[in-house]
Amino acid sequence: CGGGSLDSDKRNLDRFTAEEIYKRGEFELENSRKPEDAVFYFAEVERLYPYSEWAKRALIMQAYSNHRGQNYEEARAAAQRFIDTYPGDEDAAYAQYLLALSYYDQIDEVGRDQGLTFQALQSLRTVIEQYPDSEYARSSILKFDLAFDHLAGKEMEIGRYYLKRGHHAAAISRFRVVVEEFQTTTQTPEALLRLVEAYLALGLTDEAQTAGAILGYNFQSSPFYADAYSQLRGRGLAPEARGDNWLNNVYRQMIQGRWL
Amino acid sequence: APAVLIPGAGAAAVFNDVRIEGAQRVEPATVLSYANIARGQDVSAGELNDALQRLQNSGLFETVEILPQGGVLVIRVSEYPTINQISFEGNRRIKDDQLAQVVQSQSRRVYQPSQALQDANNIAQAYAAQGRLAARVDPRIIRRSDNRVDLVFEVREGNVTEIERIGFTGNRAFSDRRLRNVLDTKQAGILRTFIRRDTFAPERLQLDEQLLTDFYRSRGYADFRVQAVAPELARERDAFYITFNIQEGPRYRFAQVNTVSEIPGVDAGAFAAQNRVGQGDVYNPAAIDNTIRRMETVAIQQGLNFVNIDPRVTRNPQTQTLDLTFAITRGPRVFVERIDIEGNTTTLDQVIRRQFNTVEGDPFNPREIRNAAERIRALGYFSDAQVESRPGSSQEQVIVDVNVEEQPTGSLSFGASYGVSSGVGLNASLQENNFLGRGQTVGVSLSTADGDQSSSLTFIEPYFLGRDLRFGFNTYYNVTESLNSDYNTRSVGVRPSIEFPISQNGRLELRYRLSKDTLGGVEDESSALLQAEEGQRVTSALGYSYLWDTRITGLDPLTSYKLRFSQDFAGIGGDTKSVTTSALAGVESNAWREEVTLRAEFEAGAIYSFDDYSTWILDRYRNGTRIRGFEPNGIGPRDLAADNEDGLGGNYFWVVRTEAQFPVGLPEEYGISGGLFADVGSIWGLDDTVGTGGVAVDDSMSIRASVGASVFWTTPIGPLRFNFSKAIQQEDYDEEQNFDLTISTRF
Amino acid sequence: CSPVYRNHGFIPAPEDLSQVVVGQTTVDELAGLIGRPSAQGLLTGSGWYYVGSRWRHFGALEPREINREVVAVSFTPGGVVSNVERFGLERGRVVPLSRRVTEGSVTEISLIGQLLGNLGNFQAADIVD
Repeated sequence: CGGGSLDSDKRNLDRFTAEEIYKRGEFELENSRKPEDAVFYFAEVERLYPYSEWAKRALIMQAYSNHRGQNYEEARAAAQRFIDTYPGDEDAAYAQYLLALSYYDQIDEVGRDQGLTFQALQSLRTVIEQYPDSEYARSSILKFDLAFDHLAGKEMEIGRYYLKRGHHAAAISRFRVVVEEFQTTTQTPEALLRLVEAYLALGLTDEAQTAGAILGYNFQSSPFYADAYSQLRGRGLAPEARGDNWLNNVYRQMIQGRWL
Repeated sequence: APAVLIPGAGAAAVFNDVRIEGAQRVEPATVLSYANIARGQDVSAGELNDALQRLQNSGLFETVEILPQGGVLVIRVSEYPTINQISFEGNRRIKDDQLAQVVQSQSRRVYQPSQALQDANNIAQAYAAQGRLAARVDPRIIRRSDNRVDLVFEVREGNVTEIERIGFTGNRAFSDRRLRNVLDTKQAGILRTFIRRDTFAPERLQLDEQLLTDFYRSRGYADFRVQAVAPELARERDAFYITFNIQEGPRYRFAQVNTVSEIPGVDAGAFAAQNRVGQGDVYNPAAIDNTIRRMETVAIQQGLNFVNIDPRVTRNPQTQTLDLTFAITRGPRVFVERIDIEGNTTTLDQVIRRQFNTVEGDPFNPREIRNAAERIRALGYFSDAQVESRPGSSQEQVIVDVNVEEQPTGSLSFGASYGVSSGVGLNASLQENNFLGRGQTVGVSLSTADGDQSSSLTFIEPYFLGRDLRFGFNTYYNVTESLNSDYNTRSVGVRPSIEFPISQNGRLELRYRLSKDTLGGVEDESSALLQAEEGQRVTSALGYSYLWDTRITGLDPLTSYKLRFSQDFAGIGGDTKSVTTSALAGVESNAWREEVTLRAEFEAGAIYSFDDYSTWILDRYRNGTRIRGFEPNGIGPRDLAADNEDGLGGNYFWVVRTEAQFPVGLPEEYGISGGLFADVGSIWGLDDTVGTGGVAVDDSMSIRASVGASVFWTTPIGPLRFNFSKAIQQEDYDEEQNFDLTISTRF
Repeated sequence: CSPVYRNHGFIPAPEDLSQVVVGQTTVDELAGLIGRPSAQGLLTGSGWYYVGSRWRHFGALEPREINREVVAVSFTPGGVVSNVERFGLERGRVVPLSRRVTEGSVTEISLIGQLLGNLGNFQAADIVD
């Protein structure tokens, strides 16, 4: 059906000028479902007319269409090649940003894997540092914070695992990492509350007081401070934080997967 | 091409403009950013030279010249052409796409002569690896318009250089022929065209040296050394002669073996008990490693930290004996700082972390970490799980890195069936072993087809409430219509169970079963006994199983024992009143350099009824796959007076199964291995033996036996097992089965 | 039914601990003498705590911490050991953990996502009954 004509066009592209092939690539990108066709055309522009202005724009468009097609490795390779051959170009900022996005977008799809988050953070940082005044820097900072928060979430998850199992020392080390290296994230109030709980469980009341004071001073309005306050005073927790009968507890942990 | 140095420009010069000549493809901005010479300031000769170097190293230009002309600095470059297309000519043995992977130069990239030469060399290397040392590869370029070139690699393959003869000097204990089949490299024989390992490959020689050393070391030659390996090339370059010059040294036996503890407060008794190196045995490094592994497990059981077991061997060549001392010493004080888990895209972090007995901050015990790695792989959620430890933030700390690669852990299939008599039937089955990444198992299968139906719901939570407490729940609704028999059954039931460890190697399972079974459609040609049993019964039974398995602690890597003793008490309400007891004892051992696996299992069961309850066909034991070589209902008491001669099953059974599994020489990746087995056993005993027409049914214990061969094949969808069996001792009325395809279960 | 015992954490051996002299040993020498601490306080200069505990796993019951030793080393602002204190499980408190959790920005894998991921692949158990 439709694909047939596409292939016959692909063979004799030499007759067209660079601009026509480039326009055809852009047309493919907008209409056809599969961005791979567009990638093919942009690659042809670069192969047939390697010196034209179009070759440069075709390269960046290759990175973009690969990214839209969610094949992140090719997108990274094309973006990296653009940065290597045209470091001075004003599109280099966009190429670097595309490179960072290729890691960042995989974080959502791959919720739990830490490895990718590190790479995303590194490439986002290069965008922020090398092209601070480009319009991509601002959205990179935003994405950097989100990725950073994701990393802190992982540390908290592991800290709560050890806390629930009564290994207070291991939990304290993990929560201290969050408080020291991830202060700017949304996880810090909870980390301080967990530190209060862990120190109290070990019997180190003065350390618990210090953690509670820091939490109170910086996050006065946070519900975590309310919990910490009642823990320190030894009074009961607020109802929604306490948890009720045994059966509901089993339902929550086994079916809903909220294992704390 | 070398860069042209700037002649005699001693004094600093000031430039207010830069002109770039010859840069067609590369942007002026790019050239400037590499040169980065400031405008309007004085620039010394040194800086100009650095700029020149930077431009040269950028790899974008063939030649670079910097010529100061008064106030203007001229940078004249000539770019490398870009590659239009790459092609190969004259390659028959290795295909184009394989060669393309070896080649670094890529179309649409800058052409660099040095890179092209390097690629030609890589291609020659690829041919050498296949034994074609006489291969020649030359890169050629064809100029195209727009400063582009086509890159062509011309290949002349030449023929294969095979190894004509492998010789040994200095081998007294073993013949040349015996040593030859130890090596990986083979001597060219009549099948030379097919066997690849007779072609000469230098890197295979190191492997051969290692194979020879292991061969001799494990047979007592502690001082064995390969002195030299001399490959000579025949003049016509088409044949190789290899001689291994070895020095065997004396054959050692163990004289005095003892265990001593150098840590105050730790006695060596428990460790010495694990010693598997006997006095007078021939020296064998594998026995030493095995003993060390067992002693390390004892150290874990006693909760000792930083224990290191190092074997101290003292040779006394004159008596050709070795004295071996296992010294229990204080190891370095190292702690686990962090356990970082990566690659778990769907699996929750805690599902992997809870396999570690070590908690962050605990002393670092390599044996414990290896055991945890085994447990993670045994989960079956990952195609690959690597656990490595690397230095942490301080000298005394180590970080354990876990890298896993997920694999699909579930299956989902839909199907529809249409029978003229039974009408349209739908069946759907979902099986997920790592439900939502929580490590839970969920299995739902639904079939609405008429006739044989089996729908069930299974849910297993291995760590109920976060503890090592496995909660299982299964409910089923099965209908069979004359499946291997002349009656129909319908049973629906529910089976909750919990299982938990009760000792180092033992686990206990408690379960409850509530089921309602119906036996119907018994034809009048069937046995009178069966017709009497037609009807419906409710069973409500509490049961327990005690499981004991030496692999939990993994003390002995070669041999493992397993015991399962279960009892089900039916009678808490319901019609069935019986106590079903069954036992299974098994041993599995790896022999002959861990390639052959030997298994032996004894299984027995008995049903004792009380309150004058008599068992019925659905209670009694039937063959199933217990004794291979017979139909599922093939053996056991049978009412011969009835026309259908249905198998009636029996209240008692015992069976002994022995089996050997061994490789069949096919390469590892095919995953095919062979096996031989022999089964012997019997099913007997009925409560009521008066059959059709008052003729007594023979329910005595008569021995059945069968032998057979099997083929094991691990396929992507699961480990399959093809059994070909022959009954050698059976009753004339038994029904045999010569072929069966089953899933090979792990021991 | 026999319980399984497991040790976690680490307590410096008495003979190492005796080398620590209150008022003399500084914080830098301490790690060399008795090793890294299992837990530390939040502020710089706060105490070092060594925690060693013994757990009892028995059948289906929740594992219980039957013995815990804590060695608390506190420092003067100048970084010199000011006090070495030892106490056990008795000073610890059973703290009910708050269930409030900060929701992460990344969505969990959805049920449908995983099911559809399995569509098509099937296991030997489907065809071999």
